[in-house]
Amino acid sequence: MTTPKLRRLVQLLARLPGVGEKTAQRYVLYLLAADPSIARDLGEELSRLHETIRPCDECGNLAEADGQSPLLCQVCRDDRRDPALLCVVGRVQDLLAIERTGTMRGRYFVLGKLLSPLDGVGPESLPIPRLKQKIARDGVRELIVATPPSVDGEATALLLKRELDGVGIPLTRIASGVPHGGDLEFADPITMGRALSGRQRL
Amino acid sequence: MRAQHVSALSVRSFRNIAQADVSLGPRFNVVSGDNGQGKTSLLEAVYVALTSRSFRATKIEESIAFGATQALVRARIDSDDGARWQSVGLRRGGRDLRLDDKRPRSSSEFATRAPVVVFHPGEISLSAGSGAERRRLLDRVALFSSPSAGDELARYTRAVRSRQAALESRGAGSSDLGEWEELSAVHGARVVEARRRALAALAEVAQSTFGELLPEVRFDLVYSATAPSDVADFASELRRSRSIDVRRGSASIGPHRDDLRLELGGKASRRTASQGQHRAIVLSLKMAELAAVGALSSLRPVLLLDDVSSELDRARSTALFSLLSRASGQVLLSTTRPEIIETTGDRVDFVVRAGAISPL
Ligand SMILES: Nc1ncnc2c1ncn2[C@@H]1O[C@H](COP(=O)(O)OP(=O)(O)OP(=O)(O)O)[C@@H](O)[C@H]1O
Ligand SMILES: [Mg+2]
Ligand SMILES: [Zn+2]
Repeated sequence: MTTPKLRRLVQLLARLPGVGEKTAQRYVLYLLAADPSIARDLGEELSRLHETIRPCDECGNLAEADGQSPLLCQVCRDDRRDPALLCVVGRVQDLLAIERTGTMRGRYFVLGKLLSPLDGVGPESLPIPRLKQKIARDGVRELIVATPPSVDGEATALLLKRELDGVGIPLTRIASGVPHGGDLEFADPITMGRALSGRQRL
Repeated sequence: MRAQHVSALSVRSFRNIAQADVSLGPRFNVVSGDNGQGKTSLLEAVYVALTSRSFRATKIEESIAFGATQALVRARIDSDDGARWQSVGLRRGGRDLRLDDKRPRSSSEFATRAPVVVFHPGEISLSAGSGAERRRLLDRVALFSSPSAGDELARYTRAVRSRQAALESRGAGSSDLGEWEELSAVHGARVVEARRRALAALAEVAQSTFGELLPEVRFDLVYSATAPSDVADFASELRRSRSIDVRRGSASIGPHRDDLRLELGGKASRRTASQGQHRAIVLSLKMAELAAVGALSSLRPVLLLDDVSSELDRARSTALFSLLSRASGQVLLSTTRPEIIETTGDRVDFVVRAGAISPL
């Protein structure tokens, strides 16, 4: 029953995390059977995804492009947030996990990577100069290091501690309580909230 | 000690076993067959289902059947609390572990639910070989004596390899070396502590067993550490050895280089022991593993004895039978000569032919 185009679409969908060939085929058959506007809207949004959603110029969080410069995310635009409290995370997923707790009243800085020499990531690949600038510019008074509790996350936290030693602001580390070696992304909001409120001086 | 045993085993595309579904007895299970038919493979399948590791392949993917892309082993475990399943799916580049269809929190949690001890011919290297087998023995027992031991070892290994990668790609002046050295020292020191506790759990039975076999010579087990036990000293010694380690290709100190020194009459036995002494040492260590894992888990370990065969090797057979007589739980043993196996109590026999397993 499949045609080259259908096979290609199945293969493309099957590249998504957690989606296998079978599921991909289910999606395609569903889209064919359902109202055509569903497929059309999905396709339009997907084709514009990379133009509309881009990293926030301030913090690296996801932001929606609106033609203005600098491009700012919801968190950076929210003036009820305390700019003096800055939370450093490894990936956008981790930021979203912390946001889900609803208890973070400061702002974020997304590193984008963790120190990982085995994957060719050394200190020079981390945006530390930009982080230092942001700390100075925003008058940051506490830096929460919320890199994951993996070995790479711990090494990155230690590196930040050394790099920011002269900056003169306290660094705190989220309490371990999130699954050891695990992903912050998969921690439930209650555990994550506890890790945040139980943070300790690094 | 609570009893438990593997009551059913299901194997797909594992080594030369394309498909097998077997019911096992709670006591002795004798697997016979000619050379190369799949006896070791069946025991290996049980070991993989209980621990997610192999006792003979260094890369677990090697045990996926030639031509297949994945393998699956499932074991049903019966105890007083009822029956449960644990399974391991193998793919190239990954393992998929399940405890009753749920992912375990860690591979250590998986490997400690149904303790298993294996005794196979290659294990003479426990006494005569390099330190790798002896470190593995300590690390296996440590999973039961220190719940975080598996995690600490994984963290240590990642940290010390990251340091080496940084050293080799960016040189001895790389700015992150201090971070990796601190983490290597923190986790490495915990690995050593866990191993020392494991050794404490092993030493007494190992010595008393050896004393029964060869009473005239004293047997000692000593943990020989290459790094200082103080974390700060450990880290500074790593720092000092950077330029040597770049050339060596690995860290010159740390638990990956430590050894469990075995001494006969105060002298290292590895190069000087006689064949009979080596065999007595191996048997003593295996008896100790069985006792330690049983005591620490409060569960009766499953015992796998591979290749209880040759008349040529009488000494080894005698040793195996003495192990047999002391194992009070489930035993799976493989042999080319089922008639030489003397067992008392429940016994089930199987024959393996070209990867097909059938009850006798
Ligand atoms: N990944 C694999 N896929 C298929 N066959 C394999 C694989 N690895 C090994 N074999 C083959 O499986 C067969 C059975 O091996 P196994 O070691 O289980 O035999 P055995 O019955 O224990 O023999 P012996 O009595 O000589 O120890 C051998 O012919 C071996 O070459
Ligand atoms: Mg064999
Ligand atoms: Zn932002």
